[in-house]
Amino acid sequence: MIWRLKVDTQHNRPSPSKFWNWFNPVGRQTSGWAFMLQRVTALGLTFYLFLHLIILGQLANGPQGYDSFIALVSSPVFIASELIVVAGAILHGLNGIRIILTTFGVSVTRQKQLFYALMVLALIIIVIFGIHMFTA
Amino acid sequence: MSEKWNIILKVLRQKQGETSHFDEYKMDADPDEYVLDVVERVWAFKDRTVCFRHACHHSTCGACGMRVNDAEKLTCITYIREVTRDGGTLKVEPLRNFPVVSDLVVDMGSLYRRLEAVGARSVLPAPEAEIEKPPSRWSSDDEQYIRLADCIECGLCISACPAAATSSDYLGPAVLAGAQANGLKLNPELLNMVDSEDGVWRCHSAFECTAVCPSFVDPARRIMDLRTQIFKERVGGLFRKA
Amino acid sequence: MSANVQSVSTPRSGENSWWYLVKIVTGVLLVVLLGIHLVVNHFIGQHGLLTYADIVAYYQNPIIPIMEICFLAVVVIHALTGLRGILLDLKPSRPILQVMDAVMVIVGVVAVAYGTWLILVIKSRG
Repeated sequence: MIWRLKVDTQHNRPSPSKFWNWFNPVGRQTSGWAFMLQRVTALGLTFYLFLHLIILGQLANGPQGYDSFIALVSSPVFIASELIVVAGAILHGLNGIRIILTTFGVSVTRQKQLFYALMVLALIIIVIFGIHMFTA
Repeated sequence: MSEKWNIILKVLRQKQGETSHFDEYKMDADPDEYVLDVVERVWAFKDRTVCFRHACHHSTCGACGMRVNDAEKLTCITYIREVTRDGGTLKVEPLRNFPVVSDLVVDMGSLYRRLEAVGARSVLPAPEAEIEKPPSRWSSDDEQYIRLADCIECGLCISACPAAATSSDYLGPAVLAGAQANGLKLNPELLNMVDSEDGVWRCHSAFECTAVCPSFVDPARRIMDLRTQIFKERVGGLFRKA
Repeated sequence: MSANVQSVSTPRSGENSWWYLVKIVTGVLLVVLLGIHLVVNHFIGQHGLLTYADIVAYYQNPIIPIMEICFLAVVVIHALTGLRGILLDLKPSRPILQVMDAVMVIVGVVAVAYGTWLILVIKSRG
């Protein structure tokens, strides 16, 4: 049996059109997943930052506009999406610490263990935020 | 007595300008032989048109790097047992991020030219070589001994690197590792070359290079060391000027 | 050697150690500032600062507007330099990179100016 793929010799070269390869999980190491996580959260958080700034413009419209907006986003769906943003920020920040440390030669040979430790810490913080956001 | 496994070898076939496809070969294989041996048997007994590179068969020449079941491997030292099972398949593809010449053969010219450009050395004086258990103190006599550099220029790291997939100008892990072995101190040209968007800052810490390196070069560690060296030179340079 | 360097690739200075240092320094600051931001907005009181009145009251402490303006500047710089690093992986041509840089400077300045204005407006409502 023969599989036909749409690739030719040109396509085995590096090319900007292969940006999807950044997010291709096939055959990745733990640290490769960390790279994907950092890049996905970076793009997501940058998008959210500007969305957040635009939405906060509501504050200038005084109490009526803002408080009715808050009532709208207090539904579980919005709280869940807010938790995703919070989780993204925590994951990006803690993995960022690992990248900074390795850049200065700290824990380079132990970067995988450091990643696991930071991700456990991230998970604990995310769970605390999650419980608090959905209860009390 | 050797074991016998039945495996299906899928080889990505692609001649110049053609669309690629997988050819399948049913093979008998000893789980303790190497992937390269099986590929070679396809060429010897089944299909003379299969192109692949190999020379030394003992991980010194760096010619036989391929993607085996989606992971970069030096096929002459990769046991069948490590990558498949009895009745399993073995998918063999050319390295990524290098243009395909024919089937499993890629053009690694860019790697060799860049290694030369950073002055990567193929042999080092013994005291400069990084070995597992260095003597507590090198005698002046030891300077006369040289040791082959660890890098065998197989290109696995460049194939595995996610950042190398999008920018053809990225120097790449092996080249940066070669630069690191030379050191940046008193080497301003090399400093400018690696302190650039195509140098160490293209690296985004995926550490895939180190995972696939068959030769203990640990390119990621060397890239991180280069970054530390760059900061020392640049930030330290400010104070030296002042 | 220099002849070879030319023929191999022309390393471009689109990114260098100073850009990277900016990312590291703002990144470390963000771990602190974003940490404060998240705790304040989720844990103060019952569920953080949720009403308009809460927010106006919060901004009456003179330290807060200063901290928030710094936070805004740091987060915008980190986001834009980080995004620039990702876009550089796509090997933009020199003219496109110049346009990209100009757009990013404008977006950054506008975002910080707008945010600062908003913070001062909120403070003045107290």
